[in-house]
Amino acid sequence: MQQQRDSGLMKAVRAIDAISTVSGHIVAWLVLPLIAIMSYELTVRYMLNPTLWAYDLSYMLYGAMFMLGTAYTLRRGAHIRTDFLYQNWPVKVQAGIDAACYLLLFFPGIAIVFWISSDFAWRSYVQDERSVGSAWMPIIWPLKWCIPVGSALLLLQGVAEFLKCVQAFRTGKWAEGHKSLEEIISEEIAEEIKK
Amino acid sequence: MSPEAIGGWMLVALLVTIFIGFPIAFTLIILGLVFGYWGFGDTVFNLLIYQVFASMKDQTLAQVPLFVFMGLLLERAGLMERLFRAVELALARLNGSLYLSSMFVAVLFGAASGIVGASVTLLGIMAAKAMDKSKYDVQMSAGIIAAGGTLGILIPPSVMLVVMGPVVGVPVTDLYAGAIIPGVVLATIYAGYALIRSYINPKLGPALAEEYHADSKMEIFWEFLKGMVPISVLLFASLGTIMAGLATPTEGAALGALGSLVLVIVYRKLSWALLYNATMKTLEVSTMILFLVAASNFFGGVFSRLGTPEVMTQALLSLDLPKFVILVIIMAVIFLLAWPLEWVPIVLIFVPIILPLVKQLGFDILWFSILVAVNLQTAWLSPPVALSAYFLKGVAPQWSLGDIYKGMMQFMVLQVVGLILVMLFPQIALWLPRLLYPN
Repeated sequence: MQQQRDSGLMKAVRAIDAISTVSGHIVAWLVLPLIAIMSYELTVRYMLNPTLWAYDLSYMLYGAMFMLGTAYTLRRGAHIRTDFLYQNWPVKVQAGIDAACYLLLFFPGIAIVFWISSDFAWRSYVQDERSVGSAWMPIIWPLKWCIPVGSALLLLQGVAEFLKCVQAFRTGKWAEGHKSLEEIISEEIAEEIKK
Repeated sequence: MSPEAIGGWMLVALLVTIFIGFPIAFTLIILGLVFGYWGFGDTVFNLLIYQVFASMKDQTLAQVPLFVFMGLLLERAGLMERLFRAVELALARLNGSLYLSSMFVAVLFGAASGIVGASVTLLGIMAAKAMDKSKYDVQMSAGIIAAGGTLGILIPPSVMLVVMGPVVGVPVTDLYAGAIIPGVVLATIYAGYALIRSYINPKLGPALAEEYHADSKMEIFWEFLKGMVPISVLLFASLGTIMAGLATPTEGAALGALGSLVLVIVYRKLSWALLYNATMKTLEVSTMILFLVAASNFFGGVFSRLGTPEVMTQALLSLDLPKFVILVIIMAVIFLLAWPLEWVPIVLIFVPIILPLVKQLGFDILWFSILVAVNLQTAWLSPPVALSAYFLKGVAPQWSLGDIYKGMMQFMVLQVVGLILVMLFPQIALWLPRLLYPN
């Protein structure tokens, strides 16, 4: 029975992880159009005339990228934390504290962000709001919608992270290693050059 | 309770929760909401959405993913190895030459990549074996690699300076111009120290074994040229166009990213796996920084609306300490904070808290920002929490962690010397920006 419940719990975790991973895989590619648009704008500004749209598109791509990418970053465990005390604690203490922090700090805070930003984005959408600071006057509500969508994905991933804490608290070990991003990059480079 | 006191409690709550080890961005959001609601009610929700959306619209911050992407691609292009071998050949007969070539490559690639873990690892892979073969001193070898790898967060174009710009209200071009000479000064101090010590005691860094000598002067020249040209072109395309005012910072960053993509193609290193990996890592690195930017902008907004920074500033001013003493205290606090914390929370949370005080005292904000940037070099050099030591241990397992720490400590002292120099002679930071941008 215990076994079955655990596997059900981990199934949910894996499903949520997969959603965040897919969202990350889509959003990550926004960096390529960002490069293309800015390079194009720089070139045509010297040869012809500046475009009307490059500036607006650049902050939209950038803003969408980090707001929609935070769930993926949470799934990868890359949000900055101060772990010089944390890393020395036993797994059960780590998991217990993390779980409490998710309940007390994460869910209420991000839920409020979701709630407020939904209203903000919805009002902008209904008014078909445009960016007034630019000659192109693009619609601005798609960028505003990135906040509720990004925070909804983040909340969902938070559920998975909370369940991982529960699992770790029960079993006394983390399902996957806790490594910082710099550590992962360092290891990958070392491995690649050894080849 | 007065709003100012509520802000004080908010700060205390932040300090406690930061050290529990929960991701800082989430903590900032909930603390801002709770204490903001307590202090000034419903307005806090407007402030939340306003600050988050303003962070998303800050176009100069789009440099962050662009420069991260550029750095991640360049690390894999094999450019750094080529240049290192060339400098190694050129200097083979000099005592301590590997120290100098490591530092030279570190400065150039510090400009190209801001990811300390990657720089330290690459330098370690390239230099450690050659240093061991030539019987170099382990402590100094480890120290110079760690110190050189860390320079990347200071030498422009640097992600740290991009993030610091909006926080201190200084254009990022001024910060770039201001950081170049201090970065070179630090590198010179590091390399000079290692060279002088190897000159006095050749055992620390003997001349290289015969197998590392070049066959002819022509060979050296060609190798050097082949190493220098691509990186110089790339640096001109990104940093050069930005500083000359030909491109906006974001455009220059995009050109740099495009240029590194071209280099990877020219060197026949482009593969699906490489592009995929660089893209996904770019998202992770940029999001972890930028989400924290948004969260701390909100936190900072609540904090200053509560009026606490003003009260703190007045309280500190009423102590009537000499200006310079206050500056030294601020620098000492940052130095200590950089032990457990990364540069990101220090720049985003601590700097805005003390900024009103620094302004009241009449210090030049550009100079102050560069001092903070130089100071934050320690964040990666302070054992035993500095990850650089572990990166180095990973690629040079024959070096003991104790030796690596001792080496890093020596260079931490040198870094403090560099900081003191910039404090005593503000021109080191201010001369170039004043020259380039007189207004």
